[in-house]
Amino acid sequence: MSSVRSRSFSRIFLWIFLLAGAFISIFPFFWMIVGTTLNPNDVVRGIIVPGKEFGLNLEKATKNYNLVLFFYNSLKIAVITVVLGVLVNALAAFGFEKYRSKAREKIFAILLLTLIIPQIAIVIPLFRLVSYFKLVNNHLAIILPSVMSVFIIFFMRQNFKMFPTEIMEAARVDGAGELRIFTRIVFPTMKASFASAGIYMFLGQWNSYLWPLMTILTDAKKTLPIAMSSMMYAYTVEYGGLMIIVCVSVLPVLILFLSMQRQFVAGLLGSIK
Amino acid sequence: MNKKGSYYRYLNRIGWLYVTPAMALYCVFMLYPILSSLYLVTRKWKGFSNTFYGIGNFIRMGQDSVFWKALGNNFLFMAIQIPIMVGLALILAVILNQGIRKFRGTLRVIYFLPCVTSLVAYSVLFRILMQTNGLFNNMMLNAHLIAQPIGWLNDPFWAKATIIIALTWRWTGYNMVFFLVGLQSIDTEIFEAAEVDGASKWRQLISITLPLLVPVLLFSMVTSTSGTMQLFDEPNILTNQGGPANATMSAALYIYRQAFVLNSDFGYATALSYVIVVISGIFAFIQIRLLGGKDK
Amino acid sequence: MKRIVMGLMVALAIVVFVPGTMVAAGAKTVTVWYWDVNFNGYSMKQAAAVYNKTHPDVTIDIVEIPQGIDNKIEAGLQAGGSGLPDIALFQDFIIEKFVQNYPGIFVDLKAAGVDYSKFAQYKVGPMTDKGKIYGIPFDTGSTGFWLRTDFLKQAGLNPDNYQKNLTWKQITDLGVTVKAKTGKPLIAYDSTNIDFVRIMVQSAGAQFFKKDGSLDLRTPAMKQALTTLKDLNDKGLVYVTEGWNNWISAFNNGDTAGFLQALWIIGTLKSKPDNAGKWMVIPTPLLSGVPGAQNASNNGGSSWYVFSGSKNKDIAVDFLKSTWASTAPDALEFYNTILKGAGAMGTYLPSRNGSNYTAKDEFFYKNQAVYADFAKWMEKVPVMMYTPNYVAMTTAVQNANLLMLKGELKTVDDVIAHAEQEYKQTTGQ
Repeated sequence: MSSVRSRSFSRIFLWIFLLAGAFISIFPFFWMIVGTTLNPNDVVRGIIVPGKEFGLNLEKATKNYNLVLFFYNSLKIAVITVVLGVLVNALAAFGFEKYRSKAREKIFAILLLTLIIPQIAIVIPLFRLVSYFKLVNNHLAIILPSVMSVFIIFFMRQNFKMFPTEIMEAARVDGAGELRIFTRIVFPTMKASFASAGIYMFLGQWNSYLWPLMTILTDAKKTLPIAMSSMMYAYTVEYGGLMIIVCVSVLPVLILFLSMQRQFVAGLLGSIK
Repeated sequence: MNKKGSYYRYLNRIGWLYVTPAMALYCVFMLYPILSSLYLVTRKWKGFSNTFYGIGNFIRMGQDSVFWKALGNNFLFMAIQIPIMVGLALILAVILNQGIRKFRGTLRVIYFLPCVTSLVAYSVLFRILMQTNGLFNNMMLNAHLIAQPIGWLNDPFWAKATIIIALTWRWTGYNMVFFLVGLQSIDTEIFEAAEVDGASKWRQLISITLPLLVPVLLFSMVTSTSGTMQLFDEPNILTNQGGPANATMSAALYIYRQAFVLNSDFGYATALSYVIVVISGIFAFIQIRLLGGKDK
Repeated sequence: MKRIVMGLMVALAIVVFVPGTMVAAGAKTVTVWYWDVNFNGYSMKQAAAVYNKTHPDVTIDIVEIPQGIDNKIEAGLQAGGSGLPDIALFQDFIIEKFVQNYPGIFVDLKAAGVDYSKFAQYKVGPMTDKGKIYGIPFDTGSTGFWLRTDFLKQAGLNPDNYQKNLTWKQITDLGVTVKAKTGKPLIAYDSTNIDFVRIMVQSAGAQFFKKDGSLDLRTPAMKQALTTLKDLNDKGLVYVTEGWNNWISAFNNGDTAGFLQALWIIGTLKSKPDNAGKWMVIPTPLLSGVPGAQNASNNGGSSWYVFSGSKNKDIAVDFLKSTWASTAPDALEFYNTILKGAGAMGTYLPSRNGSNYTAKDEFFYKNQAVYADFAKWMEKVPVMMYTPNYVAMTTAVQNANLLMLKGELKTVDDVIAHAEQEYKQTTGQ
């Protein structure tokens, strides 16, 4: 009897814990959406009832801050990086894994070694480099250095290990060219891995802050994260408009996550299998 | 024989062809910066001009207590935040895996949600939430949990707490998913056998689940450690450039400030970044040791 | 998979087909960088309107760079001029760093024919180097102590009795009374800048640096300023905020009864119209016991510069000369407009006769003629020495101050020693 009671007591406790966790996880999202409808003062004060100023805030976010342009910049940079990056890195990974040679194994070992070098150690000489090429305040400065990713090469190589070499040989016997094998056989069968790699690269670029902060100077080139941080430190902060930009930066990733949970998680968790 | 050799050479050429675009980019955007940093680190900047400085930057670094304090902050965040987060994530993962039957999927998605926010977006949100006259303090005041507003962003101690709270919010669900993957790979027959032997749930957790989870736990800690080592967005935005009074200054942020805010001294900033490289190298070495060094 | 491909296609379609909304920079476009929409941005827009009357073919593109404008400019300079505008606004305290460390980046405006004898001389000092003068002085930062008269009345005090020269001691007593009666701290203090202490130090005509450019924090003015701040804090009169916008919301929302700042804050005060009739401003309190102290000081102030790498520098120079440095009636009227519109008090002496200089302002308590007051107070502003390491100094001092306010540093000497040490370490001197 008492054990039943204590069990149901601990059940209640368990659910309180779980629901509190859920509340904490969700609340900032809820508050962020409510914030888009409030005047700046109420955002700071933490009113959590929707207000009536969504239209005004949207006007500020689009007129004073050119939200559409920031979104476009972010999307452009991320999409180009993903398309080029997945192609370049997957090809390289495929070359390393399925066309093995001693020389390339050595190169691969060097790649892995430089994987430990953190971004902050690269960006300063990299800034000198893009300065030299007059690419500061140019989106190419953000796209080009992010296309090649040692991590994605490593990730894709791990995945290609599972692709049976026999299929490639069978295809060769049938007279398929090497590039055809890659595009017509490997790509369709490994699409989940490609998607994970793409999502990983997309998130990395969509959210990147340190490097764009160094290389973007003007409004016309700003990405969403740079726009958010400079709005946050403007002389007069338009909190409502800022909340709209925050929402705009979060929503695409949220949609991506909800519609493709498996690949999303695989992409985020990367090498864990 | 000859034909096979030429075919091998053909495939080898294909291999080089596939690898070349990535390698070209690697040389320009990774290898060259690494090598050129060897030059940068010996220079002292003043505006447009820079002069040879030898190991002067390293001597200067030795005396720069702000940098060492910043580095100390990185380690402090690691030492406090990672255990809290890993503990919470582990509890949630175990409950979601075995403790409940309903709403598992929904809760998993909810706990993972903070991960979809970019570091900048959630730093902005938390900066507004945690202001002295902001929502978080107001809620606590209304609930009579505190009598005075807490200086979450302007008190050196509480600002550190703010960073820890924010990091925990952002990353707990992420780690939980790690652990769930690990837990799901444990064979359920082990638990059934333990049940037959009369082992309590608690006992099962300590003796079966945790030991089997050790590799995943280690991996998650290693990832978090290297992430915390590179902490930048949060102290720059959430606590306003490592404030108050450098209480949340991180090594990466201080390097950025030396290069782009205070003195535009690229040489000194490069020297500082070498410290981060060395520490990351040590961590990588430990990681390889702990995880057995085999291909993961 | 189809979803991925579809998603990618849609994204690519957007990327390719949505035309960039970027303004195409025409041949006669002059780009200007500034940092505050309500203040210097507003003023530049007025200037552009005046110029466009006679030069309709020139587009003045006025761009807000709210965060770290000087860092962005420095990054652009390091990158060989990529992305830089034609004209930029610089804080007076930062300009020596650019003039000294980056020789030749600005157009010499003295050579271009600007008559500097018509500008307030304290503004010209920092922008002068080896006989060349680089900037067009913009505004003055004449300071005052701002008070909410409604809180004073609630505390049983008559605001009119305080509209005169006071000492910090008297201000502190006032604050104690207001705090006891209304619970409102007297001063909103932003921990992320040095303004409060700088205003006090400068009110005594003191400097942060010696003539040779080395740091000099051990001055009587600095010590007295810190002692005063500590005393205010010990009495619970300081409301510490964590950033500029948070500081603004503190006094605009009535969390404090007052604050210390220059007249350019007027635009920000007016952005909260419900406070009309509540604010008054009194002279900067006297740092008594320090030789040379007076009831006036200066904070901030900035100037416009033309980059010599600019493609349209001739147009840019002509624009600045014919609006900001011209005695034409239109130009003088423009100075008059920005004074009332944004609290921007120019430093072009011929503009001092504008009607708004003596006008009463209905936003303030009893329609105080604030501009006449500020103009009177600013007459004795000394020339400040800034040096290229000014930012490192302000960072070190504001950090040490905060540690004092939070009780981690106990004495004024500790605070100064802490600031000196951080300055030394971050600048490598």
